[in-house]
Amino acid sequence: MRALPGKASRQPPGPEPVSRAASADDQRRRILESTADLIAEQGFAETTIEQIVRRARVGYATFYKHYGDKEEAFLALLDAALNRTAYVVEEAYDGESGPWPDKVGAGLGALLKLAAEHPSVARACLVEAPTAGPEAAARHEAMLKRFAPLLRPGRELNPRADKLPESLEETLAGGVLWVINQRLIAGEAEKLRTLLPEALEFLLRPYVGEEVAAREAAGPSHQVTSA
Amino acid sequence: MADEELGPLPAGRHGFSREQVAHNQRERLIAGLATAVAEKGYRATTITDITKQARVSRRVFYENFEGKEECFLAAFEVVVGHVRELATDAVDGGGEWPEKAVAAARATLAFFADEPDLASLCLVESQAAGAVVAARFHEAVHEVVPYLEQGRNQRQADRELPPTTEDSTIGALVMLASRKVAAGEAEQLEELLPEFAEFILAPYLGADRAGEIAHSPPLQGPRPRSSATWR
Repeated sequence: MRALPGKASRQPPGPEPVSRAASADDQRRRILESTADLIAEQGFAETTIEQIVRRARVGYATFYKHYGDKEEAFLALLDAALNRTAYVVEEAYDGESGPWPDKVGAGLGALLKLAAEHPSVARACLVEAPTAGPEAAARHEAMLKRFAPLLRPGRELNPRADKLPESLEETLAGGVLWVINQRLIAGEAEKLRTLLPEALEFLLRPYVGEEVAAREAAGPSHQVTSA
Repeated sequence: MADEELGPLPAGRHGFSREQVAHNQRERLIAGLATAVAEKGYRATTITDITKQARVSRRVFYENFEGKEECFLAAFEVVVGHVRELATDAVDGGGEWPEKAVAAARATLAFFADEPDLASLCLVESQAAGAVVAARFHEAVHEVVPYLEQGRNQRQADRELPPTTEDSTIGALVMLASRKVAAGEAEQLEELLPEFAEFILAPYLGADRAGEIAHSPPLQGPRPRSSATWR
């Protein structure tokens, strides 16, 4: 799977000469793609630099030119994937001109779509990141914190907002990531998009109550007709 | 883990059967892993760390486990088994479904607050120990789902809740608790009880009623200490 942030395909083997900078970008991308695939397939602990360079079709020297070790490559992958995810989710959220529940629906839809399209990266980031040491685990935590501000405006819709726990947004984001994780562990990435209506209801309910949350979640734009 | 429980088996003719010795060694290895993982984390823990803590030989380790992962899974099962028992006892303590659900949450949080090392093993390190253990962790958490689903009988509304409601709820709470443990605040886990109660009850009783119960005096007061130990 060629799932990394940015470009969807490898450089075309066309006749045009490839600039040095573009070629370094391409090497990095190939290394990170291969790292994601291998980690998703067999776990961080089992993945070796030898496997990475072989799959990325680069030499050891090229690998070490960009990354000090496999952990550094994985951290670079996590950062790239996190930034990409935050960008895609925030863009969908901001781009939705409707009221807040619609914005949440748009952001969540974009998140599920991204994870479904890039299951190796999603699996590497969600399932394997905690296995790769404290720095990688901190990225996971950063992800939750990044989503919290998108949910927080929901408090304005809640008459008992002062009673809502301070960490509600992170808890809710954690619940959604948990269910995504569950699907990834079960190897059911293709079913992720069908989660949209129920995950949306889960996110909205504490702010607007079940009736409104269910109505929003049943909205036509959140129904997934084909997985 | 108290040292006296982990002292070496007396040498020579101690009158234990071979099965008893083997069982004891396995338990010591499990306890040894728990101690080592609490000190160094799963990733950095070596078989030598485990056998040193357990005061048994490497050979004995490999007679019992294929490797670190299998030993970790065994330790995880012991802790989960104990939490399951505490939660079941709490549920059997009586009352209506909401009281039972809160009692089970309270017993679980209390246990982990008393045993920060095991909280870390169960809630944090289990996510750091690779995909096989992560899958087992998810399964163990999923066991709670049928108990939460009983809450659906409490609902006034005719409408069915979405099928993943309980998985999302328990997942959110597990993440909340594991982040607290990862932050080194396992001993304060019981502070989360009102939040747990509200989160568990709200889908079934509505936010208002759930909030009332979560912030009612019985939940604020001192909890009954459990006399059971996990070992």
